[in-house]
This record gives sequence, structure tokens and C-alpha cells, in this order.
Amino acid sequence: MNRREAVQKLTLLMGGVISAPLMAGVMGEKLNFGPSVEVSAEQEALLAEIADVIIPTTKTPGAKAAGVEKFITRVMRDCYVEEEQQKFYAGVERLNKDSNTVYGKGFAALDTAQKNEIVKRSTTADKPFFLQMKGLTVTAYFTSEIGATQALDYLPIPGRFDGSYPMKEGQKTWAL
Amino acid sequence: MANLNVDAVKDMTYDAIVIGSGVSGGWAAKELTEKGLRVLMLEKGKPLEHVTGYENALKDPWEMKYNGRLTVKQKETHPFLSRDYPYNEMTEKYWMNDMDSPYEEKKRFDWFRPNIVGGKSIMWGRQSYRWSDLDFEGNLKDGIAVDWPIRYKDVAPWYSYVEKHVGISGEKLGLPQLPDSDFLPPMEMYHVEKEVRKRLEKQFPGRTMTIGRVANLSQPDKIQLEGGRSPCQYRNRCSYGCPYGAYFSTQSSTLPPAVKTGLLTLRPDSVVREIVYDKVKQKATGVKVTDAVTLQEREYFAKIIFVCASAIGTSLVLLNSTSDRFPNGLGNDSGELGHNLMDHHFRTGASGVWEGDLDKYYFGRRANGIYVPRYQNIGNDKRDYIRGFGYQGGGGRQGWQRNVAELAFGADFKEELTTPGQWTMGFGGFGETLPYHENRMYLNKEKKDKWGMPAVVFDAELRENEMKMRKDMMNDAAEMLEKSGVKNVKTHDNGSYLGMAIHEMGTARMGRDPKTSVLNGNNQMHAVKNVFVTDGAAMVSASCVNPSLTYMALTARAADFAVKELKKKNI
Repeated sequence: MNRREAVQKLTLLMGGVISAPLMAGVMGEKLNFGPSVEVSAEQEALLAEIADVIIPTTKTPGAKAAGVEKFITRVMRDCYVEEEQQKFYAGVERLNKDSNTVYGKGFAALDTAQKNEIVKRSTTADKPFFLQMKGLTVTAYFTSEIGATQALDYLPIPGRFDGSYPMKEGQKTWAL
Repeated sequence: MANLNVDAVKDMTYDAIVIGSGVSGGWAAKELTEKGLRVLMLEKGKPLEHVTGYENALKDPWEMKYNGRLTVKQKETHPFLSRDYPYNEMTEKYWMNDMDSPYEEKKRFDWFRPNIVGGKSIMWGRQSYRWSDLDFEGNLKDGIAVDWPIRYKDVAPWYSYVEKHVGISGEKLGLPQLPDSDFLPPMEMYHVEKEVRKRLEKQFPGRTMTIGRVANLSQPDKIQLEGGRSPCQYRNRCSYGCPYGAYFSTQSSTLPPAVKTGLLTLRPDSVVREIVYDKVKQKATGVKVTDAVTLQEREYFAKIIFVCASAIGTSLVLLNSTSDRFPNGLGNDSGELGHNLMDHHFRTGASGVWEGDLDKYYFGRRANGIYVPRYQNIGNDKRDYIRGFGYQGGGGRQGWQRNVAELAFGADFKEELTTPGQWTMGFGGFGETLPYHENRMYLNKEKKDKWGMPAVVFDAELRENEMKMRKDMMNDAAEMLEKSGVKNVKTHDNGSYLGMAIHEMGTARMGRDPKTSVLNGNNQMHAVKNVFVTDGAAMVSASCVNPSLTYMALTARAADFAVKELKKKNI
């Protein structure tokens, strides 16, 4: 058997369960207490552009105005292991490459209609990446100050509860 | 020098020591100090001041860095806690660093360990129900485990006693299997819940769906207002800590009256390693403590000791308290210490969509769900398993988080999320786990943690009765929802491991016979009369009903008994 199996078997015999990061440490693998993927200013700007297609400015400001790329890069850096981060940013790169292939220029240089087309293509050509980007964008936007207080109805301290509250004209989804 | 020693011992001597400051420990400290005892409450965790300590309670969502997510580093230092939702960005300061004291699992057990004064009473779900004789008589009637040495009539006055102070909001139903508390006004139901209730009661005579019975102040009584507590503001942020003191916790409810007596000494960062037994006096004389931060060792002495360190924490201390008289742990003549470990099993049920009524929304965020009291194995309802389950759950209208057509994006998608979605309704069952002698925790003394305490080893699992029950928990939920007009009903069973429900119970059970139990009907150790255990460890069976209100009642009752015995010089 290989060394990993041997360590696991021995640990079980000794009555313990060895956790993944401890096992990684034992095997000499790299733990993610260390560096994450370095994200350039351009990559961050590209995230903002993609997000702004998913949640554009309408009567209320969109994802770019809300600064969602800051949330996305922060969550990626601290809450995902390096391998997962690399996977995500590779998806961003693929989308940018597709823009060059189709329109001969990078995503940031496209007009709105073209940007929409590239994102639409990714929903089938790169569905897992699209869904991850969409999920992060939606969360980042609706928990941002702009998203929560302008696009939604924001009421931090209701003070009472009414379970059959009549829908008023212009009532938006509660932010919280 | 001799005088110095005597004075030093005197400084360390109290009338009572309470180990743990959670739901049970807080009540023990309150009751014992109010009855005139000088009490030392020892808490393993860190100080947490009421209101000022709740750093994240009033934050806007954009003030949190990760919207609740854990960092990679947190998942690595908290491999057990990061298995489920209670440990998150907002509450992370309330929980223990798992790697300071890793435990072992022969079978998976999720142990959620707090690290603060107040214990889990800050983060708890606040669902509060009285147990009934259906629960207290169960073991005797089914011929399993041992009989509870008490009945509902013994505990009923103490339920009233604690409820008066705590404030439990709920609706009277007059059901024998779920006795009514002395309630504050019930919270209102969401529109969809009202609709489902009407139909459910009609379709299933004898069953009902009520609003959750919850330790939140829907409308405070004078006693809570005088205690400095305010009504619930319906923010649904309870587990972050409540600046309004609107739900029961040690900080909001039991610590202030204890402090007011001037007789309480609270020492956080104090890891109790063992209870010291004197075989000549045939009593416990005190405890040995390690300072959680400095690792300095101390000793304290008292006439009586209340062990309220949470079920597993309590049995850890008891098993670690060995002597000539008790080689297998304090009070463990029966050999039952560590055995009969239970929890509720859950994470199965059903949910669906309620069509229409889009002209109704809701105002405020209710920190409470609905409750369907147990109806199985009652009357003519007979199942192929014993005991039963209740349902928690509830309804609401979908918000911006909902799964809109997967691939949609853009302006229309954004607009759709900014208008409320459909009403939804769901039930999740909470089932009773039987007391099995084989389900146990014990100690691995070869492996010590940061404070020199041995590692806990868990060897416990759900068995046949529980697995049969889970099928009904899932299918009954779907049936009730469908017959109540809920559409697109989907069942779920996400699997359940002991510990996940955070209602772990047993390991130092009460009983009538010292040969088969650790405690008597007064939560008093059969073999060591000045030691009392009033937290989850004492439980003889698990019921399907949340246990914390019962811990409060048993603690108040045992404190009353203990002080009377002390006054009579019986202990």
C-alpha cells in the first residue's frame, strides 16, 4: 500500500480519525495557510465588468457601482483553497479569451450587447464557472450597501412581526 | 506560614461550586446565590459581556467580510465545528478552537463546543417545550433502559417556576403529550402557515400545527422588564447575541440576578480537570482547575458541587475524577458513566410551494418556526417503531437568494429578484433516539489536550428504531403538506449523525437503582451526596422534544433540594 493508506490504517487502529489538513501535513503536502492566487488590477476590473452584465444598472445602480469585485476577490482569497481559486480565475480567463476569439478584443473593450453575448455563451460553454460567478455576484450585490438599500427594501430593526402584511405598491424584496 | 495556608484555603473555599455557566450552570448559580450561598461558578470559556460583547449583533451585511462564510484557516482549526451552520463568521468568537482539544470518533459524532461564559445559551435555538409522562414513563412502558425516577407531577411546578422568570412565548393547546407552559403571547404565523394549519387540522383530525414555543419575549412580563430585558425586535439575529436581552441566555436572564446577590464569584478561563473526593468524609471536597490561558493550576473547595458542564463535558470531568473509591470515575459504581448517549436525529422532511396569495407579504423576521407535536404511537396511531417525532419548520416568501431560472442574468433577472417570490412551506422532523448502553463516550488517557485533559472518544450511532422512524418522518411530512394544498412537494433526507442536533444527552443518567444509574431522583449522585448533575448528562431518555427547558426546571428543583439538605446538615 502507499504511505497515505498506511498512515490512515494505522490511525484507525489507534482509534483516531485523522483530519484532511493533518493528513496533508503528515504527507508533506502544502497547507493553505500560505499565499493565494495573486489577482491583478486588470483581473479585478474584469470581474467587475462580468458582474455588471449579470446585475446591470437599471433604475438602481448595478454590480460594478456596488463594488462586488472587492467581495468576490476577498472571498476567493480567504475562503477557497489555492486550487479552487486557480480554477475560478481560469474561468475568468477563458471568458476573456472567448471575447478575443469572437470579437477580436478583450471583454472590457466590448460594447454592452457584445458583453451580453459573451456571458450568454458561457452559460452553456462554461456552465459551472458561470453559475459560480453568478452566485458570488448575486450575494455580493444584494448584501452590498447599494444593493441592499437601493435595489431592495432595507429594514434592520423591524420592531414587530406581521405574517400577513399586505403587499404595498412598490414593495421590494426585503434585504435581510 | 501555617496561618497563611489556612487563609489561602479559606479564600478558595465557597459554599457551592458550579461547573459551567450555560443554561444549567447559570440557573444553578442564580438559585444557589439567591438562597444565600456563596457560589463560585467556573467556566472554561472566555468572558462575554452582555450587550457590549455582541460585536456582530447590529452589523449591516456589508460590514461582514465574507457574508457568513468561514475562511480556509478557520475550517482547518475547527474541523468538527465547520461541519455545520452554527459556527460561522458572525458567531466565530463564541466557539472553541477544535484543535486545542481534538476528540476521537469510532463513529462520527459532531460535538459543538462553545468557548464563552454563557455556553450554548447564547447560540441556542430557543425552542422550549415541557416534557410529559409520555416521556417520563416511556422506558418503563417499553421495558428498556431504566425508569425515570421522576414523573411530570414532580417537575411541573418547577417548569412554572422557571418559565415565570424566562418568559416562554407560545399557544395553549391542552395536549397531554405536550403540556402547556405558562406562556407569554404566541408569535403570529406567516400567511402560508395559517393556510396550511387550517387544512392540516381538517385532513388529520387529532393533529395540529402550532407556533413554536420559544424563549423570546413576544411581550415581556414585569419580571423580565425589571430584569432589564426588552421585547423581541424581530431581527432574527439571535445567535449573534441580543442587545435587547430579548431571548433567554445566561447573560440576559440568570447571571444578573446572581450577581445582584453579591454572593457570586464568576471565574472564566477555568478548566475544571477533576472533582476531588475525600474517602474518609465520603464527600467531594472541591475541584482542581487549570487556568485556560496561563496553564497555572489551582484548587477550590466547597460544601456542594453542581456539575453543569454540558452532557459530554460533565461526564468528561466525572470520568477524569478517579480515586481509590472510584477507580472508574466519580460516582461510577454502576459502570453507566459515559453510556446511554443520546441526541435527537433530524435533517429529514419535506417542503413545497404554496401557489397564490401574492398580495400578502410579511413585516419583520420571526425568530421562530412552527411546531407539529408528536402524534405517533399515541392512541390508535401505531407504528413499527417505538417513541416518535415532532416537526419544526415553517413558511415564508422566497427572497433574493432564490433559484431563478439557472442561466438567467441581466436586467430582467435583477428585477425579478427585487420582487418577492412565491410562498413556500416545509417540515423537518426531530426524532427520539433510544438510550442504548452501547452508545457511549469514554476517555483516551494516552492523548491529552492543551490543558492536560484526556481526549474524549465517541462510539455511538443511530440504530434500527431510529432508521425506521426516519422513513415516517420524511413521508408523513410529504403527506401532510400535500393534503394541505402545498404543491411541488419534495422530500429530503440529508442524513443525521449523533451530536448534529446539539441536544446531546445521557452519560450520567438518573435512576431508581444505584446499580444501574449515576444519579437519584433529585439529580444527586447516589454515591456522593454532595454532588449534583443537572445538565443533559442526567437524562434517562431523549424524548423528541427539545430539552433545555427541562434542564432549567431540573436545575432549579435540585438546587432547592440541595440547599434544604445542606440546612438539615444531611450533606
